[in-house]
Amino acid sequence: MTATMVTDPVIDELIGICGPDNVFADRSSRVNRARVPAPFPVHRWAEHVPDVVVLPTTAEQISEVVKLANRYRIPVVPRAGGTGLTDGAVPLRQGIVVDVKLMNKILELDLDDRTVTVQPGINMLKLNEELQKHGVIYPDDPASYPCSLVGGRIGTSGWSLIGGRYGHTRDLVISFQIVLPTGELIWVGDGGGRKVRKSSTGYQLKHLFMGHQGTLGIVTEAVLELVPRPEAEFAAFFSYPDYETAWRSTGALAKSGLATLAGVVLFDEWKLAYLRRDDEAYIPQPDDVRCVVATAMYGTTDEVRPGAKRLLRIGKDTGGAYLGDEISQGDWASRHDRYATPLHGRLRDGQVVPMSWHCEDASINWTQLPAVREKWHDIVARLGDRFRIFDDWGMFAYTNGAFKPWGDYLTEIDVGIWEQELDDEAWDAWVTAKRDIAAVSIAHGGSISACHGACREGEVDLVPEELGGGWDVMKKVKRVLDPLNIMNPGKYLLDQAYEDGPS
Amino acid sequence: MIGFRLSAQRPPDPRRVNDVVVQRFDHVYEVDPALMRDHFQQHDLPAWDTRRIVDSRWEHLAWMHAHWADSVVSGEELMSAEE
Ligand SMILES: Cc1cc2nc3c(=O)[nH]c(=O)nc-3n(C[C@H](O)[C@H](O)[C@H](O)COP(=O)(O)OP(=O)(O)OC[C@H]3O[C@@H](n4cnc5c(N)ncnc54)[C@H](O)[C@@H]3O)c2cc1C
Repeated sequence: MTATMVTDPVIDELIGICGPDNVFADRSSRVNRARVPAPFPVHRWAEHVPDVVVLPTTAEQISEVVKLANRYRIPVVPRAGGTGLTDGAVPLRQGIVVDVKLMNKILELDLDDRTVTVQPGINMLKLNEELQKHGVIYPDDPASYPCSLVGGRIGTSGWSLIGGRYGHTRDLVISFQIVLPTGELIWVGDGGGRKVRKSSTGYQLKHLFMGHQGTLGIVTEAVLELVPRPEAEFAAFFSYPDYETAWRSTGALAKSGLATLAGVVLFDEWKLAYLRRDDEAYIPQPDDVRCVVATAMYGTTDEVRPGAKRLLRIGKDTGGAYLGDEISQGDWASRHDRYATPLHGRLRDGQVVPMSWHCEDASINWTQLPAVREKWHDIVARLGDRFRIFDDWGMFAYTNGAFKPWGDYLTEIDVGIWEQELDDEAWDAWVTAKRDIAAVSIAHGGSISACHGACREGEVDLVPEELGGGWDVMKKVKRVLDPLNIMNPGKYLLDQAYEDGPS
Repeated sequence: MIGFRLSAQRPPDPRRVNDVVVQRFDHVYEVDPALMRDHFQQHDLPAWDTRRIVDSRWEHLAWMHAHWADSVVSGEELMSAEE
């Protein structure tokens, strides 16, 4: 078990490594890096405040910080944008937070081999502002596009709203440099060539070092894919009178085989009812608009226009009514904005309360969506019956496959939580509900998480069940690579890897 | 310079849209102030500020389209060409 020992000499050594301006032991720097936007037991905030924050500027500094942490056995928690929704960047054992935000430079733009090399603290929106001058973009587009950073995208193995066309983070990051938990710097990718997209040499280490939530090291540089900047965008939103029709239509649209199709998303009746509370696109809709399916396409104009005609025909033939350009275009352009707004929350008497947003993000096959939906809403309804601080914000199912957007769906139930009213009893009930939600996903042949990771309280208990024999391999890998359990200890139940003492 | 104008300050009276929403300006919906009483109070906004926020929102959406692609294809136009 890692112990925390951040003392003045340690801070002096950190200053020696990172410089006096890049080490922060003051209260506000630490308190502000204790949580992420996922629901948080605010009544237990103090348990998660790190001892010290460093903002390094080079890979070598990070390597030295990690080596120091091993010498003193201090936990290290990597942090990028701090927008992760599975508590990855929340320090569970205090220690050193390595915040990569100052490492935000573009290091090389290679328009011939179509790559851009960046530091991990760069944000995709800012990166694309530069890239579009050269007729290319980096198409990793999470709903957190304006605020999450490349390091966190790799740390979570993120999911992109336009992944059906361009792939998700794991498909778009070609190779990267990582500081291992013992401080060595290595490059991983497909094989050895930094700009090679496909190789059969050796083990496929790129995937191992993605989505580990900072438990296997800190990414310090990454080579990213470039695609031509799209000439044309097309978005079509369709309405339906019932879930069954909308669900079948979703399947038909996703299976259309149209190469420019970037995503199809189905909003259920609960989501529509929630949007009618305060969303200008949905308030004026007639009552028989009960479900909505949204689609989007990107590519050359020559591909998108005929593809869009075909998509409109499929939507109509499968029972959808086109909601018009204003909603389709405007709502698609709002895709990054709608989530973290606190005033969507309502008590059952309709009164507005400030609530934070929680979302479950399972991967569920298309055939299982209706059954999972019923069970998840039941779990949240029971929770709401007991505690007024929980509010069902509806569900959506979004095409999940990279390049082939059919088969399985990122399935989200959004829940509002009035955090200020949390106490231990409500928090425990919440954790139990999350465990129940995860159990439904596994029982239906799905996966607990499509994009955020599965290390929050509650759901994490079921990770061994989901992974089966793979869970034992995961523990062995952790123990071999991080013998002193320095990197983000306590996450993913990985303390179990050390149950008979450190190796 | 344009001086103080009362109409730029005071929003028009609301008209009810449904049980939970009222409307003071075209295309701008507002949560019924009666629902923002017990736990969270609604802010008073001068009319010009509401207009500024709405205009900025349209600008933001236009920016987001232009950020991702050179042009936006219209579904309405495609459908009317099919007919
Ligand atoms: C409004 C909103 C919408 C969202 N929508 C999406 C979405 O559509 N798709 C999606 O995938 N996610 C989404 N998320 C979740 C979140 O944005 C992603 O998980 C994102 O990848 C986190 O990036 P970050 O830079 O904020 O990372 P952080 O939260 O700082 O870190 C995430 C994890 O990565 C680790 N980490 C950070 N930096 C490094 C590094 N350099 N090396 C190794 N590990 C590191 C951290 O320790 C942590 O475990 C959303 C979040 C919000 C708030």
